[in-house]
Amino acid sequence: MTKDKQSGGAESGALGTNLKTERDEFLKKFSRGTQLTEDFVKEHERMQSRLQDLETENAGLRAKVEADQAVRELLKKIDRLEQEKSDLVSQNRHAEAITTEFTARVQEVESEFANLANLFVATNQLHSSLSPRGVTRRIKEVLAQLVGAERYAMYLVNPEGEQLIPIASEGVPGDQLLPVRIAGTRIGDVLRKGSASVADTDPSRGTLQDPPAVIPLSIDDRVVGTIAIFSTLAQKNKFDQVDFELFKLLGQHAAQALVAASLFAQAEQKLPGLEAFLDLSV
Amino acid sequence: MAEYSCLIVEDSPMMRQLLVFALARVKNLRVTEADDGVDGLRKLASARYDIIVTDINMPIMDGLKLVKRVRTDPVHKDTPIVIITTEGSQEDRQRALQLGANAYITKPIQAPQVIATVKELLKIE
Repeated sequence: MTKDKQSGGAESGALGTNLKTERDEFLKKFSRGTQLTEDFVKEHERMQSRLQDLETENAGLRAKVEADQAVRELLKKIDRLEQEKSDLVSQNRHAEAITTEFTARVQEVESEFANLANLFVATNQLHSSLSPRGVTRRIKEVLAQLVGAERYAMYLVNPEGEQLIPIASEGVPGDQLLPVRIAGTRIGDVLRKGSASVADTDPSRGTLQDPPAVIPLSIDDRVVGTIAIFSTLAQKNKFDQVDFELFKLLGQHAAQALVAASLFAQAEQKLPGLEAFLDLSV
Repeated sequence: MAEYSCLIVEDSPMMRQLLVFALARVKNLRVTEADDGVDGLRKLASARYDIIVTDINMPIMDGLKLVKRVRTDPVHKDTPIVIITTEGSQEDRQRALQLGANAYITKPIQAPQVIATVKELLKIE
């Protein structure tokens, strides 16, 4: 029994040692497992945190990509708008060019109309009187009001064809209004050649000796007189196109109107009989 | 569209005709002619005009007297007046402007200038 007890005690001691060892090992293992678990938990937390960071980063990158896309679209829109603006500017320039051209054309037509009105009025006036005095007054009015002549004289050639005799004038002192020889004078040259002589100089500065414009007066192909413009009004410092047209008109109509009025006056204002018109063979 | 009336006071038939032609280019402008200042006043007494275009040198009653009379007329005291002068008559022009004329045109008249002056005074486009 004692032996048994002794052997039982030894066995019990050995068993206790084993249990202690096992316990220690278990504790060691448990402690390690705990450590590992803690490490896992920590790693898990770290991974969670990292995942969160990555998700945040990902969201940021997504937003950036979306923003870049929006910028690209905006840039495309800007390009399109720039193109539209360029087209509109081009169209506007084209429209402006057309408007400018149109305005210039309208002004040209208005100016042409004004010139034609001047010529119409001048012709109308020249033929609206059948008295020599009336015709002369109207010729003077055309010169003064339409051409802007200040000093001028109208001459008719004498029957001998040697001199030009002044028959009307304005602004020329009586003692300086003398007959003009046809030979060797500028006024006479215009009569001989039958074409107007207009100087390029400022007509408002003209003189009696050097008239800026001399116009031949014709009846059919015969030159029967001249008009000499010695100077124009101060503001009339050049002759315009319409003035040249008026010179032509005066050249062709003034003498005819004057002669017709003179013949009518000589006929004591009697109209010719019907027979004068019956044999016209027209 | 508004209609305007203009009185031309001018003794020269040629100038009158020229002014009538020029002002015919202004849309909706009705033009009446008077031979001189007295005739002008007679016409002003019988109708209302929106603008008056008058020569300075006229027999019977000249443009200066006409301007003076128009400015005392209750109906036309504010009516724009355009005077037609020659360059040499600067004193007349100054006098007319002092008496109340609104603008002047020098001879020889140019239709585009007449049209532009009348349009400006009537504020027509």
